[in-house]
Amino acid sequence: MNEIKIKSKNLNVFYGEKQALFDVNLDLNEKEVTALIGPSGCGKSTFIRCINRMNDVIDICKVSGSIEMDGIDINDKNLDVVSLRERVGMVFQKPNPFPKSIYDNVSYGPNIHGKGETKSELDEIVENSLKKAALWEEVKDRLDEPGTSLSGGQQQRLCIARAISVNPEVILMDEPCSALDPIATAKIEELIDELKKTYTIVIVTHSMAQAVRVSQKTGFFHLGKLIEVGKTEKIFKNPDNKMTQDYITGRFG
Amino acid sequence: MNLALIFLITIFSFSLFFYGRSKSKSLSIENNYKLKALPKFYGYYLVLWCSLPSLVFLLVWTLFEPTIIKSIILKIAADQGAIMQDQNAANLIYEKIKAVYLGTYFGDIDSLLKESALSYAKFKNIFTNSKIVLIFLIVISSIIYALKKIKSNNKARDDVEIILKGLLFVSSLIAILTTLGIIFSLLFESIKFFSVINIFDYLFGTNWSPQRAFVRDASSITAAEYEDLKDAFGFVPLIAGTAFIALIAMLVAVPVGLFSGIYMAEYATKKIRRVSKPIIEILAGIPTVVYGFFAALTVGPFFRELGENFGLTVSSESALAAGLIMGIMIIPYISSLSDDVINSVPQSLRDGSYAIGATKSETIKKVVIPAALPGIIGSVLLAVSRAIGETMIVVMAAGLAANLTINPLDSTTTITTQIVMILIGDQEFDSPKTQSAFALGLTLFIATLILNYIALRVVKKYREKYD
Repeated sequence: MNEIKIKSKNLNVFYGEKQALFDVNLDLNEKEVTALIGPSGCGKSTFIRCINRMNDVIDICKVSGSIEMDGIDINDKNLDVVSLRERVGMVFQKPNPFPKSIYDNVSYGPNIHGKGETKSELDEIVENSLKKAALWEEVKDRLDEPGTSLSGGQQQRLCIARAISVNPEVILMDEPCSALDPIATAKIEELIDELKKTYTIVIVTHSMAQAVRVSQKTGFFHLGKLIEVGKTEKIFKNPDNKMTQDYITGRFG
Repeated sequence: MNLALIFLITIFSFSLFFYGRSKSKSLSIENNYKLKALPKFYGYYLVLWCSLPSLVFLLVWTLFEPTIIKSIILKIAADQGAIMQDQNAANLIYEKIKAVYLGTYFGDIDSLLKESALSYAKFKNIFTNSKIVLIFLIVISSIIYALKKIKSNNKARDDVEIILKGLLFVSSLIAILTTLGIIFSLLFESIKFFSVINIFDYLFGTNWSPQRAFVRDASSITAAEYEDLKDAFGFVPLIAGTAFIALIAMLVAVPVGLFSGIYMAEYATKKIRRVSKPIIEILAGIPTVVYGFFAALTVGPFFRELGENFGLTVSSESALAAGLIMGIMIIPYISSLSDDVINSVPQSLRDGSYAIGATKSETIKKVVIPAALPGIIGSVLLAVSRAIGETMIVVMAAGLAANLTINPLDSTTTITTQIVMILIGDQEFDSPKTQSAFALGLTLFIATLILNYIALRVVKKYREKYD
């Protein structure tokens, strides 16, 4: 069992009047893939958006309780969001490359955080990130083409390269394969397997099969509550909770 | 007379709607068949058949009636010994006859005029009566035809659709033909101008003083006279002045408009946005003549006094004052359009940037603006074409002298101002001076057309990318 990287305690999230998360206590282990499953609107995405404080962008969103990363509360007012997001990267549901060249998409993060001061350092970061994202071979000859010209799966790997370009500790993935075809999905899953050697990964997914394939730990959310969490194998073979059982066998959701 | 007829036809047609509807219903019940269209379509069918043929007939009749009467009357007058050397004399006599008929002629009425006026009255009467009778016949026959169609159970719906499509087509045709008409009238007058003044002398001449050609008849200009006129119609100072003022306007409008657009789209809370956006858009609703006297009476003198304090000579009508006010006028165009394009940049791009640790201003600068850039450029180009076509502000505030200058404190002039100046007051339409206004108008039209085309293309390209 790896060490705990992120620990949420009594996490509650409100969007205006509506409460989206109820007292979520969830531990995420270092260098492991944690899958979050559950029907739509159950709070999985809201939970991972708390980890890099993306909910700050939404005016009406209020967060209470704590999320500790390496023992430090990230909801602390004094915590620098910019450096938090440098440590916690994110990949979105729909590939969202910037309308820039492939190179500029990857060098965007390092530029913002002042990494890679010389051209050759930056080149190296871009090359390494693209290699880690298993995209280098496909794009190395056309780095100055727009990122939007790539196929959907390539775009998503570009977004992964963008996320790892600043060398984060945690990568959050919000249904990263839902807009992709099975072949592109297989590539991303392979990539996740590789990335977990270096990074702590949290993935939200609607595909049970994907959760089984990529994750070591699974959490099941329903109506804003964390119903059950445990080793992926156990959750899918022998869940404690009736509701989890019903969901994974497709009786609701 | 015509109005009364149109009114009667309309009222009658609409009352037929109800008749057609109930008639088709009762027919289908009596004969026990299913109608091929809803009963209301038979109502519409009757209305259209009753109104359209008679109204079209009325229109055609009204267009040709005066010409026909005129030729008949003039023929009668000529038979009675009226002397008409040419078309103008004939027109004069005809106007006299009409005036006698209307009782507004105050000269001596000789027997010829009196006779002609009587026959004018007679023919007018005949034409009016036959018009009414014919319309009545047309209405009756088309109603009979339409009623018969109801009996034979036709597809009234399809016919109504076809007629409505035709009406809509005619409407758009009118819009297109009017535009073409304007373009061609510009073109023909410009061709007359360019047949006198060499197009290269016009395009590349640096001196604009059209008053030199004021009294000359275009058709009788000799080669020697042309030498004198050659450099009177130089276009360069006008386009330079236009571009210069537009440039000053853009220097004001682009930063202010763009920044306020960014603020509205990215920073303003919903509440602020709800209040401030309409306020900015009010700027676009202020009549340009109001901007004009603001520029001429407030801003111009202000700059002059300010300049005096610094020991500068500032003309009270300056390119700076006109450009500044024009820039203010254009702000809402740029801010509103760039607000829209920035808003249409997908939130996912912003999220992607925030998620990697970029701040709001970094995100705007490096992701949002580049993504919105084509749309922003499009809005700026639209604003430029608005600026070069703007008339009132420059007429009032920029001056009339065609100086070729790059000193913003000097007075300058624009294409639109010169068109206004040329066409004010009594004109001789065969003078190159007057015709030059059409050449200017054509040039301006082509310039704004090209700008608008580029702008719309750029905006469209951008739209395709995200929708």
